[in-house]
Amino acid sequence: MSNARQDIPACAAALPRGHRNLLRLLATQIELRMLLVILVVMFVLSLISPYFLTVNNLLNVLDQSVVVGMVALGQTLVILIGGIDLSVGSLAGVTGIILGLSFPHFGLYGGIVLCLAAGAFAGLVNGVIITFGRVAPFVVTLGMMSVGRSLAYVLSGANSISGLPAGLGQLSADSVAGIPVDFWCLIAAYALCWWFLTYAKGGRTLYAMGSNREAARVAGLSIVRWGILAYGVSGLMSAVAAIFLASRILSIDPIGGQGLELDAIAAVVIGGASLFGGRGSIIGTLFGVFVMVFIRNGLNLLNVSPYWQGTAIGSIIIAAVLVERLLSGARARA
Amino acid sequence: MGLLVLRNIWKRFGATQALSGAAFDLQAGEVHALVGANGAGKSTLSRIVSGHIQPDQGEIVLNGTPVRHGGSREAIRSGIAMVTQETSLAPDLSVLENIMLPRIAMPGRLRWRAMRAQGQALIEELGREAGLHLDTTVGDLSIGQRQLVEILKALALDSRIIIFDEPTAPLSPHESERLFEIMRRLAARGRGLIFVSHRLEEIFTIADRVTVLREGRLVEGGLPTRDLGQGELVRLMVGRELQDIYGRGDARRRVPAGRSPVLRVRNLCCPPLARDVSFEVCAGEILGLAGLVGAGRSETLETIFGLRRARSGTVELEGRPFVARTPREAIRAGIGLIPEDRRGQGIVPDFSVRENLLLAHLGAHAGIGLAYGTRTDAVRELLAVLDLPERRLLDANMLTFSGGMQQKVILARWLALSPRLLLLDEPTRGVDIGTRSSIYALLRRIAARGVACVLVSSDFEEVIGLADRITVLSDGVSVTELPSDLVDIEKLGMFAAPRTSAERTHTVLEDLVARHGGAAYWIAVEEERVFCFDRVGTDPAADPGFLAGGFPQLAGTAIAHAVGTAAEGLVAAPDGTHPTLLVAIRGRRGHSFGIVGLTLPHPVPGFDAPAVRARIEAALSEPPAQQPTDVRLTT
Repeated sequence: MSNARQDIPACAAALPRGHRNLLRLLATQIELRMLLVILVVMFVLSLISPYFLTVNNLLNVLDQSVVVGMVALGQTLVILIGGIDLSVGSLAGVTGIILGLSFPHFGLYGGIVLCLAAGAFAGLVNGVIITFGRVAPFVVTLGMMSVGRSLAYVLSGANSISGLPAGLGQLSADSVAGIPVDFWCLIAAYALCWWFLTYAKGGRTLYAMGSNREAARVAGLSIVRWGILAYGVSGLMSAVAAIFLASRILSIDPIGGQGLELDAIAAVVIGGASLFGGRGSIIGTLFGVFVMVFIRNGLNLLNVSPYWQGTAIGSIIIAAVLVERLLSGARARA
Repeated sequence: MGLLVLRNIWKRFGATQALSGAAFDLQAGEVHALVGANGAGKSTLSRIVSGHIQPDQGEIVLNGTPVRHGGSREAIRSGIAMVTQETSLAPDLSVLENIMLPRIAMPGRLRWRAMRAQGQALIEELGREAGLHLDTTVGDLSIGQRQLVEILKALALDSRIIIFDEPTAPLSPHESERLFEIMRRLAARGRGLIFVSHRLEEIFTIADRVTVLREGRLVEGGLPTRDLGQGELVRLMVGRELQDIYGRGDARRRVPAGRSPVLRVRNLCCPPLARDVSFEVCAGEILGLAGLVGAGRSETLETIFGLRRARSGTVELEGRPFVARTPREAIRAGIGLIPEDRRGQGIVPDFSVRENLLLAHLGAHAGIGLAYGTRTDAVRELLAVLDLPERRLLDANMLTFSGGMQQKVILARWLALSPRLLLLDEPTRGVDIGTRSSIYALLRRIAARGVACVLVSSDFEEVIGLADRITVLSDGVSVTELPSDLVDIEKLGMFAAPRTSAERTHTVLEDLVARHGGAAYWIAVEEERVFCFDRVGTDPAADPGFLAGGFPQLAGTAIAHAVGTAAEGLVAAPDGTHPTLLVAIRGRRGHSFGIVGLTLPHPVPGFDAPAVRARIEAALSEPPAQQPTDVRLTT
């Protein structure tokens, strides 16, 4: 919730008074609820599969959370202002191709910079059209989704790119303090985003405009600038995700990142954000990402057919959001 | 036998006990007002009647049978409907479709022809002056008309009980009057009307009986209003006497002449509503912008504040030309705006009270961070001024606050920035009388600290009570500017009457000048002053001594003698010039709508004064249904 920061002291003070307060804390703090869900999921999975709680598997889970996590971060900003970005998967695809094509000419860092710039540019284009053209975000980003995927095929000639610089692979191969570098990057990005959303003017502007755009405008907040920037960041994070995706599989395919938008939106929504804007938190999104990744991991461990996994995950998403609605409904009535 | 009886109703929302043993009874054929201060529980009680919420405890007896509503749909089925201030109409559908919406929701085939006939019959019942057509798209209607559609919707369901929840809040006085007439007619046909309001004048105008709630408890049930004084009702509502809610006493402040204005607006034009608006306001002064809904008042404020672009005209801030392209520029220049639509333009519902308080600070602040810390002292100080306990700062949901409290928070949002100019658009809309007086006191204090205030209000009594000077807007044009101690509600209403509805008078004036020459005018005379609402004819020899919008001393005009003699025929000034005929105009209920006068350039032998008088009276005083100043709801 947007007010999480201010509410915590009040709730903490209320804690010693017993179970009732603990329940109320759970009812008001979606992050805590999410943590509980994750722990339950982990517990169940560890009962079902002895392999689940092994270091290797957990590292694997962390690894898988990076790509979705990066995209979900940008998506959170967009959903907070009441928008949606469907183009993230395709943008990850096309920026990946740009990355792969530019290595031979500009080197590792040049390629990364170009890739990030392309992602941010596409995102800004989304934002500008949505803001100034007053076109529904759904429509604009749907169009960009198609454009991005098409350009990925055009630029790559529909071939995958391999023979990437070795340095790229180090991002996911190296680890610091036993945790892979790419996961540290994810944590750093989320920490920065949390700071931004909680303590920066821009972050509060995103919440305010998602909650009541007109009120934010009357109060003099720069809704145009931050509205565009939210989409810009979402595009940028797609490019970031493309880099980590390439580093993990050391090959870039024009079909890369397909379906990423759904995972990212699902993670944000499971994390408690309202699709109408104004409500949600970056910590919630991070937990949402974990829930998604754990469940996928668990289904793999259980040898569930990949064809059935879509049904399972889809049902879980709907159920999770439904439960969340019921809980927040109960809170509103309380 | 009551139509509806509620006994011992209890309702709790979380930590708030909204109702503790409230009771209410409604007879067929009466208008029963439900009144109380902020948080008295009148909205809760009316929502229980309408089935929107369930009581925790208590008894509801409808037509002698105990009921327990399963929800608003069942309430509708048992003949209870609600007309709210924020209408629940579908703006893209036609009037007919909206009226029949509940029917459309029912199973079975739709009989459009029958529905159309019924819709037409209902409009006739409401009165054809309402000017409603079945095929108009609701989105194109004025607020007043939309409310009529809501009433029609209730009638279409054959509702026996209709709840009006602060229906007059968005209406101009004339629209309210029209609404009251309709309410009377509905009551006369045996329906029971519940009227929720906190405007005392209205309660005494329309209600037969009144039930007073305070803090969820029943104070008095079903008192006949004719046995009740206004002061007594206030005492019942707030538990103490409320003397002068505007808190000005007798002293009217006049800004000394020659003081340079903080804001000067010249011929501001922002189509379609604001067309030619000029006014100025000095530091420490409260200027009222009076006018009806649609007169261009809000648009004027929004243009100054950078929410709209002016097509032409100038705005000067402290002597320098000023154009705000965005609200941010206006805020940085020291302007604050309290918008009309509190829910839509004021409150950020997902923010705590504290962040709502600091929202304009955030807009004005230039850094990357929030710098909330720099305002801690200011916030504490404001909370003390607002009478809001500090622990409520972190309340997450401002929507659970009363309208008055929400408005105070939004006022405080701007006070935190110490503005030099405050634009207030309907600051007391939906605010009860107890809180209103504290908002008035707050505004006086703000002005006393040297802030220039521009107050827009449809409530003329409020404008007169609060403002030092009043600029009247009519159809987007500033028609006059008056000191507030010179006018009363009636005269303000005549100045503010839209040109479209004053057209009838204007036509008569034009006709008089065309037939007889000279100058014809529509005026009111009071306390040795002439208030001129309209004037036709420019012959200098027949100049009565005032122009439209003017309010000179009677003694200085050419018609002083004519007014003094009150004769039936032509009366010339003592020197024999300016022969003048004056005809008093009376409204349907006998109250005065001013005087229509004709001044001729020179004495005319054989001037048939009785015939002219009869023609003016025929055109304006009668028939009752068509009055010169009766504002149709199609403003």
